[in-house]
Amino acid sequence: MKPLDPRLLRHARAARGYLALTVGLGLLTAALVIAQAILLAQVLAAAAHDGAPLSELLPRIGWLALVIAVRAVATGVQERYAHRSATRAVAELREQVVERAARLGPRWLAEGAGPRVVTLATRGLDALDAYFVKYLPQLVLSATVTPATLVVILGLDWISAAIAAGTLPLIPIFMILIGQLTQGRSERGLTVMQRLGSQVLDLVAGIATLRAFGRERGPVTRVRALGDAHRKATMGTLRIAFLSGMVLELLTTLSVALVAVSIGLRLVYGHMTLVDGLAVLILAPEVYWPLRQVGAQFHASTDGVAAAEQVFEVLETPLPVSGTRRCPDLSTSTLRLTDVTVRAPGRDQLAPAHLDLELPPGGTVAVTGPSGAGKSTGIELLLGLLRPDSGSVEVVAADGTAVPLADIDPHTYWPQIAWLPQRPVLEPATIGSLVAGGPASASGPGLPRRDEAAALTGLDTVVAGLPDGWDTDLGRGGAGLSVGQRQRVALTRALLSDAPLVVLDEPTAHLDAAGEQVVLDTVRRLRADGRTVLLVAHRPSLIALADRVVTVRAETVPAGSEPAEPDAGRGAPDPVAPARSPEGGTR
Amino acid sequence: MSAIDTAGVDTATRPPDATAGTFTASGRRRDPLWRAVALLDVDRRRFALSALLGTLALGCAVALAAVSAWLITRAAQMPPVLTLSVATVGVRAFGIGRGLFRYLDRLVSHDVALRGMTTLRTTLYQRLATGRPEATLAVRRGDLLARVGADVDAVGDVVVRGLLPATVALALGVGTVAAIAAFLPVAGAILALCLVLAGVVAPWLAQRAARATEQRAADARARMASAALGLLDDAGPLAVQGRTDTELDRLRAADADLARATDTGAGPSALAAGLGNLAIGIAVLGALLTGIPALAAGQIAAVELAVIVLTPLAAFEATSVLPMAAIQVHRSRTAAARLMALLDAADDGSGTATTGPDTTEHRQDDSTDPRPDPARTGDRAMPRSADQVGLPARGPVITARGLAVGWPDRDPILSGLDLELSPGRSLAVVGPSGIGKTTLLLTLAGFLPPRGGDLLLDGVPLADTDPSARLERLSLTTEDAHVFETTVLENLRVARGSTSAQEARDALVTAGLGDWLAGLPDGVDTALGADARSVSGGERRRLLLARALLSPAPLLLIDEPAEHLDPGTADRLVGDLLDRSDRARGVLVVTHRLAPLAAADEVLLLDGGRVAARGTHEQLLAGNAQYREAHAAELIQS
Repeated sequence: MKPLDPRLLRHARAARGYLALTVGLGLLTAALVIAQAILLAQVLAAAAHDGAPLSELLPRIGWLALVIAVRAVATGVQERYAHRSATRAVAELREQVVERAARLGPRWLAEGAGPRVVTLATRGLDALDAYFVKYLPQLVLSATVTPATLVVILGLDWISAAIAAGTLPLIPIFMILIGQLTQGRSERGLTVMQRLGSQVLDLVAGIATLRAFGRERGPVTRVRALGDAHRKATMGTLRIAFLSGMVLELLTTLSVALVAVSIGLRLVYGHMTLVDGLAVLILAPEVYWPLRQVGAQFHASTDGVAAAEQVFEVLETPLPVSGTRRCPDLSTSTLRLTDVTVRAPGRDQLAPAHLDLELPPGGTVAVTGPSGAGKSTGIELLLGLLRPDSGSVEVVAADGTAVPLADIDPHTYWPQIAWLPQRPVLEPATIGSLVAGGPASASGPGLPRRDEAAALTGLDTVVAGLPDGWDTDLGRGGAGLSVGQRQRVALTRALLSDAPLVVLDEPTAHLDAAGEQVVLDTVRRLRADGRTVLLVAHRPSLIALADRVVTVRAETVPAGSEPAEPDAGRGAPDPVAPARSPEGGTR
Repeated sequence: MSAIDTAGVDTATRPPDATAGTFTASGRRRDPLWRAVALLDVDRRRFALSALLGTLALGCAVALAAVSAWLITRAAQMPPVLTLSVATVGVRAFGIGRGLFRYLDRLVSHDVALRGMTTLRTTLYQRLATGRPEATLAVRRGDLLARVGADVDAVGDVVVRGLLPATVALALGVGTVAAIAAFLPVAGAILALCLVLAGVVAPWLAQRAARATEQRAADARARMASAALGLLDDAGPLAVQGRTDTELDRLRAADADLARATDTGAGPSALAAGLGNLAIGIAVLGALLTGIPALAAGQIAAVELAVIVLTPLAAFEATSVLPMAAIQVHRSRTAAARLMALLDAADDGSGTATTGPDTTEHRQDDSTDPRPDPARTGDRAMPRSADQVGLPARGPVITARGLAVGWPDRDPILSGLDLELSPGRSLAVVGPSGIGKTTLLLTLAGFLPPRGGDLLLDGVPLADTDPSARLERLSLTTEDAHVFETTVLENLRVARGSTSAQEARDALVTAGLGDWLAGLPDGVDTALGADARSVSGGERRRLLLARALLSPAPLLLIDEPAEHLDPGTADRLVGDLLDRSDRARGVLVVTHRLAPLAAADEVLLLDGGRVAARGTHEQLLAGNAQYREAHAAELIQS
């Protein structure tokens, strides 16, 4: 891990100014530390050795006071801007990583590094705060104060400088040595700690279940035993982890002590003046102080640096190149998936495998298949959110020219689609403007159409039950409405939108029979209006509405064709099973 | 030590007042942090040892400064070398002592804190497990885990990062001030004042800054998190709806607010840092301004002047960590308040349920393998199976008359409910989502108090029955029941500890998991991942069903056993459950599928906060239009 990653400065502009300020303050602090030590030594030596009266020393004490005041101000300024820049740099990185992740698409988010981004963006990056506020200033100080004080000591007394210069390199050497010796052990320890910790939480998460069977009391001893095991594992790790801290402190304090003794012995024989001796004595701890702080803050900063590295990894993931061609009018075009296959992430599965699907304008196509077969993946392919591993996805215009979906500018394609995912996604707005697709069209000639659509989807009864009716503000995610009610809002919006293609992903999953009826009526209406409809459906009632039914199948990757993890396929459905299992017998 | 701070993002709870504001009258007056720290049951001797070691470590640093100041000024007077020998040895000894004592101090203090955290976690588990059930039911699972995980860690952290540094700083400060005052009282007084400035005023400012930022940032942080989550969770729909950029703007706005909130705290925080630094300088200046005249007046010796001027430089090391300690105390107090609210909610009015600490009589012999093994460790509390107890032929009966159900402190959502469940009877409860079916089940099982009417088990009000006797008669399987991070078999043994592997296999086959079981690498001994992430939604439901079937209780309450299944499988499963050939049990099933309900003795259709219709499947089909339409919609075939 680099102490200062240049990518941090490249991606977070706030970090650049802050680093410049920190370096400036670091140089100033180095000068002040030296000035303070020399002034103090002069005053002290003059008073203690030469018996100078206070009046004679007052000017220098005045300078000393000034140096002290400026140092306090510099510390304050550093702290003031540390927090400020940390927050801004974290915000910059967060925005970039969220934007990049969102553009990488839902499939990328669902696999590999994707799920980590959520934790990274909401919590992980906050660990950078410690890096900016605590670690970075000390890092800069160890690059300014440490060498500067060392040079001054060299000018005053080369033997002390030699002692300091001799011990300084030992610090990183010992740290690295101990780090390497302990790394394996502490990583093992960490794994054990995490496992034990998660097992206690597992028992707690199951309290209600254990109670339901009257088994809640037994695990008390288990919780205690796990806690004790956790403590022992942790202490085992800490005993080693703290060693590096001990070596650091031992080296630094011992060398200050050695410097003091050596100065003392030379003073006795008059080989040195008291002023120089005192100045070196005051400066010696300052040589090590930033280094000790870097060591102490190192662990606090690693989480943040690791988070930042994960962010850079995401930011360096190339985006799929999006097309530039204009999308043909979908009300006259056919969407065609030919022999499309996607390899399921982390499984030896092709889901969907060799899917052929044609969606003619005005047609209603139902997609069915066992769960895990790749129905939702098929939708993502069709929406251009995912590119197939093999096969083609094309838009065939009315004149017969086929354009690969990958070549089409999504901003000319998506506006022609109304998509209802399994969980409806609603922007914060009033119900009225939501279903109308904007506040402008929420009144006027559209109203009768709206009421008619709402009557069909059952949204009218929902709205009638709300105190503010159509003006009810749903806030984020449709707060205050049940999933079923939100689905009615989304269905009404789909009915009222002009999008030629409507995609419904398992629209009846969360609905009871009455709710299901609403969906059936809506689909019938969409059909009657000449809209193209793609349905993902389990229930026969819904499938019955389609012109054609496409069954999606998954396939296991033939053994030996690709390196596979031994247990990666565990729990994955056998692709042949649906055909012969009892649940396959409903049709 | 854990530095995970998971508490920040989601602290919302289902019933809003379940984890906050329900302090008991006596608890309200006490600081939650001290109540939580008391529950850590910290070993006083270990704490004192740790404080002593910490004081010795920093004491070595102060002594090193003092003795080397003495050594150098004395050496400049060119005395015989032998007079310096004690000092030169002392300087080296203090140089070594510091690192050594500090290492030991860190080990002892962390051990103290970890022991305390284990005690607190055990107490918490015990009181949650035996206290009022609704206290845990009301908290979302993620929140519950954050309490027991991160919040307990935060309370433990206060020992290492808050209380011990403060104790050490106090001991060291008093010692150093006393030592300096012995040379020159007025210099001691100035040092004392400066230590107060750095060790009390600066931490107070830092804590205030942290609080101010936190309060102002909380709202912005919540908006930031929700915008980020929305963008990542719904990346696809947002892109298709063309709203990605709008949402990114929303994220930017929230982040800008967050930055502004941080700025409000940055001022006091900068003041605290500057003050800490300034205090050292003032102490040095004060020592010079009082020491030099004192030297001239012959009150102190020349070497002593060096000692009183240079010693303070080291004394402030102890106070330099106190601003962070103050912030830690604040964080820990916030965590403690959440923990105590949860405990108070669990303890409130719990008469029969609380127990003393569980004895270790059935401690496992496999202490080398501390896997959670809820079934085995639960043997003592395990209900005897039905045939062992020899229940009367008729068996237990749950009777509800005019029952109203709902969450405490909210309006009842369902009222006027009559039902009777006894072995041999099968009931089905249907109705639109959100009508209160799950709440009804929780009430029937005794986990929520009835909100009106009578609820009797064998003629005795359910609330008055002994919980363990109650659970011998009935078992509840909710849709969100937990699948433990252990083997399939141990997961099934949660219902009955004596379940054999063969019984487990039979139950899995009955629940429709035969094919799934055949595909598992180690059969019923296959370990399931954390929260059964390796199990699909439908498989999980059926696993829970298999567990319910293994329960020895004669009355089963089962919530939505067939969700996430295709209609054919779902109907067959619910039908089998309602039409068990042995009829030794009474079954109440909550479901959304109507087709299989012909097998039920009685169907209750809930709507509008009451029982809208009841009867057999046929009676409802004939007499209730709503039921008939819903059933017809379900039956439309291709």
